[in-house]
Amino acid sequence: MTATNEWAANHECEVLVIGSGAGGATTAAILAEAGHDVLIIEEGPWVDQGEVVPFSLEQMDRQYRSGGVTVALGVPSIAYTEGRCAGGGTEVNSGLYRRPPEQAIARWQSEYAIDDFDADGLLSICEEVEAELTVQTVPGEHTRASEILRDGAAALGWQHDESPRWMSYPEGGRAVDGKRQSMTRTYLPRAFAAGARMLTEHRLDRIVMSGGSATSAELSTTATGIDQPTTITFKSVFVCGGAIQTPAILQRAGFRHRVGRTLAVHPTVKLAARFDETVNTPDDVPVFQVKEFAPGISFGGSASHPGLVALSLIDNWRDFGATVTAWPELAIYYAAITSQGRGWVQAIPGVRDPIVTYRLTKRDRALLGQGLARLALLMLEAGAGEVYPSFKQAPLVRNRADLAKMTAAFAATQASVMTVHLCSTAPMGENYKRTATDSFGKVHGATNVWVNDAALLPDAPGVNPQASVMAIAIRNARRFADERAG
Amino acid sequence: MRAPSTLSTPMARFADALLAVDLPALPVDPRRQTVSFIDERVQTMPSVPRFGVKAIGIGVDILSKLAGVDRVISLVTKLPIPLLAEYPRLIRSLAFAYIWETWPATQTDGAQ
Amino acid sequence: MSQQLAPPDVTVITGAGGWLGTGLVAAFLSGDHEYQRAGRLRLLVRDPGDAVALRAASDRVEVFVGDIGRADTARDLFRGLHHTDAVGSVDVIHTAGIIHPNKMADFDAVNHQGTEHILRAAENAGVRRMVHVSSNSPFGTNADVADTFGHDEPFHPYFGYGRSKMDAELRVQDAVDRGLNVVMVRPPWFYGPHQPARQTTFFTLVRTGRFPVLGGGHQRRSMVFIDNLIEGIVRAELTPTAPGLAWWIADERAYTVSEIVETVGRALTAEGYDVKPNRLKLPNVVGDIAERIDGVFQRVDKYNQQFHVLGEMNKTIAVDIRAAQRDLGYSPDVSLYDGMRRSIQWCREQDIEL
Repeated sequence: MTATNEWAANHECEVLVIGSGAGGATTAAILAEAGHDVLIIEEGPWVDQGEVVPFSLEQMDRQYRSGGVTVALGVPSIAYTEGRCAGGGTEVNSGLYRRPPEQAIARWQSEYAIDDFDADGLLSICEEVEAELTVQTVPGEHTRASEILRDGAAALGWQHDESPRWMSYPEGGRAVDGKRQSMTRTYLPRAFAAGARMLTEHRLDRIVMSGGSATSAELSTTATGIDQPTTITFKSVFVCGGAIQTPAILQRAGFRHRVGRTLAVHPTVKLAARFDETVNTPDDVPVFQVKEFAPGISFGGSASHPGLVALSLIDNWRDFGATVTAWPELAIYYAAITSQGRGWVQAIPGVRDPIVTYRLTKRDRALLGQGLARLALLMLEAGAGEVYPSFKQAPLVRNRADLAKMTAAFAATQASVMTVHLCSTAPMGENYKRTATDSFGKVHGATNVWVNDAALLPDAPGVNPQASVMAIAIRNARRFADERAG
Repeated sequence: MRAPSTLSTPMARFADALLAVDLPALPVDPRRQTVSFIDERVQTMPSVPRFGVKAIGIGVDILSKLAGVDRVISLVTKLPIPLLAEYPRLIRSLAFAYIWETWPATQTDGAQ
Repeated sequence: MSQQLAPPDVTVITGAGGWLGTGLVAAFLSGDHEYQRAGRLRLLVRDPGDAVALRAASDRVEVFVGDIGRADTARDLFRGLHHTDAVGSVDVIHTAGIIHPNKMADFDAVNHQGTEHILRAAENAGVRRMVHVSSNSPFGTNADVADTFGHDEPFHPYFGYGRSKMDAELRVQDAVDRGLNVVMVRPPWFYGPHQPARQTTFFTLVRTGRFPVLGGGHQRRSMVFIDNLIEGIVRAELTPTAPGLAWWIADERAYTVSEIVETVGRALTAEGYDVKPNRLKLPNVVGDIAERIDGVFQRVDKYNQQFHVLGEMNKTIAVDIRAAQRDLGYSPDVSLYDGMRRSIQWCREQDIEL
């Protein structure tokens, strides 16, 4: 491994990659393999897969930004999470893999005028990614919580399927035996093998600009002990900090055109469902997803360890709290929507973190209610005896008549709305009015600054976005390398 | 293991009182450990929400000293005042997640 | 799909004086109609005026006048139809309902309590099969223009009418649990001959270019031509299925409001009417405001048809009929254009000014 958190006053490189997640790790690997001298900086620590229990509070402490307590302000506010570790979100997410929908690719291409952008090209990169990450379905037994989604959807005749994951399984392994093929196990080692270096626990404070060119980066270490700045000089810089950090970094460097103005997410609402058997698998998430109402509404399963079960009940603790002791019989599920609303990411001078806002539209709020109601119906059909929706004043749902009470009582403003898919804060394309970068991620008005992460996605794809992020990042990195090779 | 907090911050004082009401049977030690966890999490929150939470925390703390913490708890947990209502909710979210992850056999009233 | 049953010896139809009921009776009695049947028809109407015309139609018809909100009406209706009375097989088609009432309490009295009365009476009589005509209203509206209601949906009733039709569906499920063989059809907005005055207004608004198209007219609406609906009802009655099932019965696909207005305009033109092209285009917010006013009225027990209809106008109500196609062999073959032309022709035959 060529990652270190050791401090030095100065570094030099040809290409600086800021961030090591789905965008940064792939960028680093492609560029290093094309012969470029690459240095990756990462704010969080290097944590090997298996070192911490997946979806645990310890994992949130070590691998999430702000311990997972991050929120987009609005009515309602939307809780979100960001990975903050080597490998970024790929280390901590559910590992569910979905190719970018061809519909989304066509929409992005036409509305944002992205050059050389088509389904054939992107999907062939997806095939490479799938081989690299051993994307596959569960070879053996599914968890009970996963089967519940499948069975409920089947009972209703709703379209559903198993989302493959970037996992490797031992011979004859079950769902819970999977090992996540995250960036620390795939593209980062590939980058190192091709000569890339990596500094962990180094936070970017500022990109120093001279005219339209970035010349150096100033960093501080987040590892304890050293309170001295680090300066890195480079020829080109790729900003891959994710949809929240990337626009803040660009804004601090003086780039404002369409930067941080169009945050897109998949807002989700959730419920806990209780069955008359053990269904809770604390350290894994269900792999089945229900796509009957996609892309508008999708259903899936969430992490359900006892702490999260308690969390799902707090909106009505007085009525629902007593069920927490039965957490082995409970599992948490979500309804996610594609949102018409957008949010802002705004860096504030002198303040460490950007402010994040998100506005749900009237239609978004109604769709969340419709999604939650359908999800509750699915749970009843799957045999749930009790359904606990996560919004204030929610009734306990035991049958269809209760569902009517639930839909009447629902208000998105009273719900625990959250999201994990953040994107679109520096959209790409030649449609200048709508984009922050050109068709390959080069920031408008800059000579040597690129974005190459989820911020480039013109809008939320309606599916788990990691494959879209990786495919676009690889495409753009190849373009960069090809232009310099020839 | 987290050291039991000394309730040195406004937030810690309110959180301790709120948990004593919500989970009356939760022994003092785990309660203090939970409060300490909440305090740490609030310290690492992003700048602007952290500032907001601390400001509300100070306000609630002053009000508690004037009007009595029990009365303030029932006020902020029952009245649907935007932002203010988010304060006890944040504390509860962090606390309940921590408690049931750390001690999954905890009863609804906090008994262990 | 299983082999269809033969039509019963007696068909009980509630709401026989209404739009749908009149259409059903006409189809059952007409010598050359696909669904004409030989057995007796026992009809319930509310308005004594309707009874006269129906009695004159055929000697196979018995007409009862009464309000289904009253339990004794339903008992009278089924008198002599008990399975021990050796009358043969009896089916019930329950179309009676109220959609634009004078007062809110009528919703519950007619749509909910009335259905319960019919269910109980049908149960006591030991009928072969009952078809309950429900609605899209217990399920509200689609939250997104691209959303379509699936075969099975959670209740989300749209105001008082929706609540009463939902309660009726719940009573139907209770009756199924008690052993009654009853199924449901759920038609959305229907159109066609025998239509009431409010639908005539719709043609007039389109003809004069004053139909209020809200928010660009992209919202989608499922509609059903009355003959398609009659097909759905008869297939639900005569196709042996498990009790308690419910099917959306609508035209093949949902239409956008713009498409509906445009199609009706073409149909009117083809029927020789002079159609003004300029449409009344209003922002979405007009529908939202109307919806709020409707809600306020309904909370204080008042019902205003204009606000109710306008409030619903910017909503999408789209349904998926695949379950009916699969389970019942339902195949709606009348298109919107043809259906609208036939409605317009019917209006002209009745000397109704459009």
